[in-house]
Amino acid sequence: MAGATIWKGYIHFGDTDVPVKLHSAVREERIQFHLLHKRDQVKLRQQMICAYEKQPVPAEEQTKGFEVEEGKYIIIDPEELEKTVPEGNRMIEVHEFVKAAQIDPIFVDRVYYLEPDIANIQGKGYDAFVKALKEMDVAGICTWTMRKRSYFGALQASGKVLRLNTLRYADEVVPAASLGLQGVPLSEKELMIGSELIDKLTAPFEPRKFENEHQKKLQDMIEKKARGEKIAVLAPRRLQPTESDQLLEVLEASLKKAA
Amino acid sequence: MSRTFVDMARGRLPLSNLEKDLYPSYGFTKANILEYYRGIAPFILPHLKDRALTLKRYPEGVEQDFFFEKRCPMHRPAWVKTAEVPQDDGDKIRFCLVNDLETLIWVENLASLELHVPLARAGSPWTPDSMVFDLDPGDPANILDCARVALILRDLLSRMGLASYIKTSGQKGLHVFVPLNRKDTTFEDTKTFSKAVAGIMQKHYPALVTAKMAKQERIGKVFINWSQNDASKTMICVYSLRAREKPFVSFPVEWKELEDLAGLGDPERLQVVHSEAVRRAEEKGDLFREVLVKEQKLPHL
Amino acid sequence: MAVQGIWSGTISFSLVAIPVRLVKAIEPRGVSFHLLHSKDYSRLSRKMFCPEENTMVPPDEIVRGYEILPDKYILMTDEELESVSPERSRTIEIVEFIDTKDVDPIYYDHPYYLVPSKGGEKAYQLLVEVMRRTNKAGLAKFVMAEREYLVAVFSRDGALALTTLHYSDEILPDEDMSPKKGKIGAEEESRMKKSIEQMIEDFNPGKYADERRKKLVDLLATKAKEKALVEAPAVEEEEGEGPADLVAALEESMRKVKAR
Repeated sequence: MAGATIWKGYIHFGDTDVPVKLHSAVREERIQFHLLHKRDQVKLRQQMICAYEKQPVPAEEQTKGFEVEEGKYIIIDPEELEKTVPEGNRMIEVHEFVKAAQIDPIFVDRVYYLEPDIANIQGKGYDAFVKALKEMDVAGICTWTMRKRSYFGALQASGKVLRLNTLRYADEVVPAASLGLQGVPLSEKELMIGSELIDKLTAPFEPRKFENEHQKKLQDMIEKKARGEKIAVLAPRRLQPTESDQLLEVLEASLKKAA
Repeated sequence: MSRTFVDMARGRLPLSNLEKDLYPSYGFTKANILEYYRGIAPFILPHLKDRALTLKRYPEGVEQDFFFEKRCPMHRPAWVKTAEVPQDDGDKIRFCLVNDLETLIWVENLASLELHVPLARAGSPWTPDSMVFDLDPGDPANILDCARVALILRDLLSRMGLASYIKTSGQKGLHVFVPLNRKDTTFEDTKTFSKAVAGIMQKHYPALVTAKMAKQERIGKVFINWSQNDASKTMICVYSLRAREKPFVSFPVEWKELEDLAGLGDPERLQVVHSEAVRRAEEKGDLFREVLVKEQKLPHL
Repeated sequence: MAVQGIWSGTISFSLVAIPVRLVKAIEPRGVSFHLLHSKDYSRLSRKMFCPEENTMVPPDEIVRGYEILPDKYILMTDEELESVSPERSRTIEIVEFIDTKDVDPIYYDHPYYLVPSKGGEKAYQLLVEVMRRTNKAGLAKFVMAEREYLVAVFSRDGALALTTLHYSDEILPDEDMSPKKGKIGAEEESRMKKSIEQMIEDFNPGKYADERRKKLVDLLATKAKEKALVEAPAVEEEEGEGPADLVAALEESMRKVKAR
């Protein structure tokens, strides 16, 4: 079963309105650690400490400030902050449709499932919308406001289900060009063997093959310690980097191995 | 100007002003200087090899002006090896490489009494071969205080799994070297590590050690100059002469010897003069050899 | 190239090993505020506090524990945590390649870039280029900060981009999302498609800006003109100690040195 309804809204473009309910699509599970005081194993708490007085400060004495220069701030009071919250309407406004393949995966942030809100009497159009998106292979680019924040995203079909993928804003994605990578000449032979090797190592995407083994091993280690058993501390494995002048050789050996 | 010639493997090398006294209060001529460097050559050459040399020239002797020379002099013999090394501002400078006895003699003929080299080799200027802790005493602290700090530092480094080697600077302080000799070490690594170590030392021995460069912080304390771990910085090469009243040498000290001397209370006992340097090197070999060959990796970075 | 590193190690496929560093691919641009003390406007920072001893606790006195029973913990050291999957904490081993178009975006979690460390530039470039030519992505597992991630490595604009993926058992099922009714009218279908067709454009994310962020920035600009800024009292500059792991290890070693 998918998660509980997070939010309700309606998709709008042209004459079309499709009321929907938002659900989480992902639930992360992990072993939680607490931070403890070494001396007495007491669970630590987070406190906001004043840099000047070096003492904890209660919530009533805390104010938000925006740093303009080193040590100089503009104070914002809560009412002013409220005014900047965009209008809380329930509309998921679609501005355009684009070919689904044009959306670079690096832009995708969170994914939500959309369920038709049939309690709303205008609850039709969901099926037709999903089918159209699927058959035309397009995504609907939209904006909406949820919990005081502005979002931008893509509506996409996945089988018979409609998904809402939130996207990152363009100015938040670091361009590859800013990494300062230098071009390195590669021989056609190296590229050919490399491509061949990759093809040999290609498999269909089957994510169910992969389990979080680390979690299991961590759980085992914790249980061992709880029983008072000694655990072996192993050093991390480090690989020897491949030298540039040996690249072709190593690629050929890899290809032989993969065959 | 008097001129003599010396026969070397490559032929004759012109030398000048051999009788000029460059250490007037002690009495040490250029000829003496050349004699020193010829004697110490087997020990100093491996430490100079492939390192961009900065010459510190005292043409009129230690009591007169000196000048640093990075660019290898244009009038060099054809066989002097050089290397182009990019600088911080993007420019490239051609440095001399003292890779053989002839070049060493030629450089000394130019009265480059002190030989300063970077922590990285010219072919890989951003890969330090070692990490250094430059211990500099602030008056009235002296070399014995440096010795005390060095012994604690050695212990601390050893518990971090790192072997270290120490030499006198030939002036007031001591240099602790941690050999690394790995291709993947960067100056950022050594700077981060040494800064953290200096911080810990200052934290636990605040009356004895400071990690801060400001003059007022260093009075009576030993300053651990971690910022020397930089591609643009140079250190006095081990076995090099120093331009002081006496021709003292930057000389390696065994840790055991340092322990003994630190307890005796006589700072002068730690200084090694030219003749003693050659004698001790011939007797015990290059005590700094491990700095060139030992491979170690900085942990926890 | 001054790029901040999060993790460094090696990425490998078959026998080829490339030394790399992981760096950010996303720079959040939201307006961020600092919390200040209303009294004197000095900056507040988050510190760990022991409620029993009523004091702030420095990093070297903090340990991680897993709660097995109420208030009963099993302590884990960093070494032990790193040794859980020792073969994976410094290596990203690509075990297979997949067609990029086969990856369902629901699996994507967080993106990063990989940059080559010294000596790895050529092998790095090769991987970038061959993945681009073949339109493939690499699948691997690796451990960072005591979590194991399933990741996909892509070729993007001449660089290697790495995205952490969710495990398939973390993806919730969607069977109960689609409506129970079956039939869609042919007319309804064609009307829908026509509406969509009229609105087809090329994808240009730059067109969309964060509205809330804009409003905040405007508000700040207005306020900056109106009033004088408040100033925090001068605080002694505390020099950064260094990476937490290193400082902790040094403290531990120093403790032993002094105990001798």
